[in-house]
Amino acid sequence: MKNIFRIARWEFVTRFRSRSFLFNTFISPLLFISVITLPIFFFQYQPEVSTKLIGVIDLSGKNIEKDLQKALNHYYSPENRSREYVVMKVSVNSSGPYREMLSEYKEIKSRRDSIARLYEQIKAQRAAYYKNTKIANREYFLRTSYEKLQNTREEKELTDMELENFKTSLDSVYKFEALKMADSLLITNVLNAYLLFPHEFTKNGIVEYHSKNPGDLRETERFEKILQNIIIEKRMMDDHVEQAKVHKWLSPIYIKKYQLMPQGQKEWDFYAQFYGPLIGVFLLFMAIFTAGGYLFSSILLEKSNRVIEVLLSYANSIQIMGGKILGLGSLGLVQVLIWLLLTALFISSGIIPADKISYLTLSNALYFIIYFSLGFLFYGAIFISVGSLSSNEYDAQQINQLLRTVAVFPVLLSLIVLAEPNSLWIRILSYIPFLTPSFMIMRIPLSSQLITTDIYVTIAIMVISILFVIFVAGRIFRVATLMQGKKASWTEIWRWLKVG
Amino acid sequence: MAQNILQLKKVSKSFAGTVVVGDLNLKVKGGEVFGLLGPNGAGKTTTMRMIMNIIRPDQGEILYNDQPRHKIKNLHFGYLPEERGLYPRATVLEMLVYFGTLNNLSARRAEVEAIRYLDRLGMVEFTDAQINQLSKGMQQKIQFIVAFLHDPDVLILDEPFSGLDPINQIVLREILQEYKQKKKILIISTHQMEQAEQLCDHICLINQSKVILDGQLSRIKKNYRENAFFVESDDSLEFMQEISGISIIEQDNNSCKFTVAEQRLKIPVLFENIQKKAGIKRFEIVEPSLHDIFIRLVQAETEGGK
Ligand SMILES: Nc1ncnc2c1ncn2[C@@H]1O[C@H](COP(=O)(O)OP(=O)(O)O)[C@@H](O)[C@H]1O
Ligand SMILES: [Mg+2]
Repeated sequence: MKNIFRIARWEFVTRFRSRSFLFNTFISPLLFISVITLPIFFFQYQPEVSTKLIGVIDLSGKNIEKDLQKALNHYYSPENRSREYVVMKVSVNSSGPYREMLSEYKEIKSRRDSIARLYEQIKAQRAAYYKNTKIANREYFLRTSYEKLQNTREEKELTDMELENFKTSLDSVYKFEALKMADSLLITNVLNAYLLFPHEFTKNGIVEYHSKNPGDLRETERFEKILQNIIIEKRMMDDHVEQAKVHKWLSPIYIKKYQLMPQGQKEWDFYAQFYGPLIGVFLLFMAIFTAGGYLFSSILLEKSNRVIEVLLSYANSIQIMGGKILGLGSLGLVQVLIWLLLTALFISSGIIPADKISYLTLSNALYFIIYFSLGFLFYGAIFISVGSLSSNEYDAQQINQLLRTVAVFPVLLSLIVLAEPNSLWIRILSYIPFLTPSFMIMRIPLSSQLITTDIYVTIAIMVISILFVIFVAGRIFRVATLMQGKKASWTEIWRWLKVG
Repeated sequence: MAQNILQLKKVSKSFAGTVVVGDLNLKVKGGEVFGLLGPNGAGKTTTMRMIMNIIRPDQGEILYNDQPRHKIKNLHFGYLPEERGLYPRATVLEMLVYFGTLNNLSARRAEVEAIRYLDRLGMVEFTDAQINQLSKGMQQKIQFIVAFLHDPDVLILDEPFSGLDPINQIVLREILQEYKQKKKILIISTHQMEQAEQLCDHICLINQSKVILDGQLSRIKKNYRENAFFVESDDSLEFMQEISGISIIEQDNNSCKFTVAEQRLKIPVLFENIQKKAGIKRFEIVEPSLHDIFIRLVQAETEGGK
């Protein structure tokens, strides 16, 4: 029995000193974590891919584009990014028909203005006649000026009507020309979209959104939200609500997201929640496969340099296997503890903000250690079997490569846990011993309640499978380590398992 | 002190249906060098592995001082495997201490013993060297130390002569001598008959999983001596094949080694018969080598089988 500990100590000490252990403990997790967290920084500090140009056709004459730009800047241009939207008034000044009509309109308008002036003059004059009673011919002047006034008013009303009519047709020409212009800008991809504000848009609340794909809900929802604000603001202004009040009433509303957790509620942070357990799963598998890989190479080396025969003559196969599992398992545990300790050190020194890895509670760390141990024993026994069956270094390299590739699957598969940690499918999958450690490490911090039953069930399943694989590994180990050169066939392996 | 005895009783082992060791009976007494002889593939290594409890016999039992082998602790046994193996990356002393502690030596005791042996083998300055930096000869010495560092009661050396340089051969002899004096069990295996002849007191010859000869070396030699002769001539000795009553062991054109099979055949008569046909340069009684005995026995066996 003592030999188990002696062998364990030897395996532990010789590996602990090795350069590869240093690398696996410090360098590769660092590499991995930087690879996985880089996209976050990239995502946060990258400027927007492109600025979107939004056209505005304003038939209301309320200079809406200024308000729109302001609102868009406010919501969608955080300080360290360039503006996401630029608003541009669609100009029709270059169009011939509109220019012609505009000059005609101006002519009519100036005519109306002069009539209006004249009318005012006459009115003022008549007022003077009324007040001044000493004027000669006052009666006559009053009468003739009244006629003049009547005539001018009539003329003024007529020109007003003419102007009104002309304005409507000018507006429709403007609209027509502006739409033509905007559409061509849209087609040539100069504009991403344009908005058409009708004359009375504040009253009926209708704004047109033109774009190549109005089905883009993200965009339309944004504009809906912003225009809602602008229009409401305008309506309030029209009702003469104080500016200060308007701003107070319209101050933006944010939704903070919280997740219900057994230890109370906490704020949901996508990256922390997502990357945290994922990094955990990856490190778990790194620890398992580092230790497992040592187990594998240790057996293989002893087999190929024939130390195994000396060992077998002084200790029995159970002691050798047990010692290796114990020694290298402790090595893996030490690795895990080093990581936990480093993390704690980083948190306390403020290098990692504590809220970013709040999932790493003491009990979660304990589960981590439990599932590491179970995973290591399970995969370790498989490594032993494979190690004792492979006959040369080259084989071993390939098998090791294969095992490492296989190890990626539980890690990748565990990503699906993210969507719904406690759905039936995920639960069933986490009962498969190969996936149990990675799935459970993902599920425990992501679940809103402690999944006690599943923890017990998976631990039970793991223990049973471990006993089974160790039994198999023991039989294979005993027979296969003494074999040399030739590979064992499946029927041979089957016979060893039966006979022992 | 009662004599140490290691016994194999009707031990058999087969791999995948092929019998490698069949009904093997051996009795090894403490204080004698026991040689397990036979060609490659005879089953020597398998037998030794069974004695070391690395593999279990299919049938039969192995007893050491009347106790079944699998009930005795491994630390009473020391083993030099046929295929040598050391940890290439470890340093000499730490590895020796490791193997020593596996046999229940305390770390301190193992260290003292290891240094003592290293000193004796003239390697004390290499205690902290890495194994793979040592020469082949030095690695061999280390391998030997691994076998007897813990002072086992039974020492089993599988093909100890293979690849052994002359200096190490002397060392080996010395150690065997020591074990002999302590009346411990000593088993060596070899397929080189000459080596065995020089070293062993007791011999067991195995061929194709069966014992074909077992006994004290001196007695065996005596048993096979009387009738073996060697004749050398300048003329051709081809005709000797026609002489009845003798059986030829080895022959080339000018010399012949033979035994007299028929008791009635008198040596002087035979001598004259030969002299009539060829001029005898030399005619002598040969001390048969183990090699000859082996060849003869194997021949007899195969003929008997026909
Ligand atoms: N572990 C094993 N599995 C299968 N066959 C084996 C095994 N060990 C030895 N053999 C076979 O048994 C026979 C005897 O081998 P061995 O005992 O090594 O002979 P020796 O040591 O006398 O040369 C050989 O034919 C060898 O191939
Ligand atoms: Mg052999």
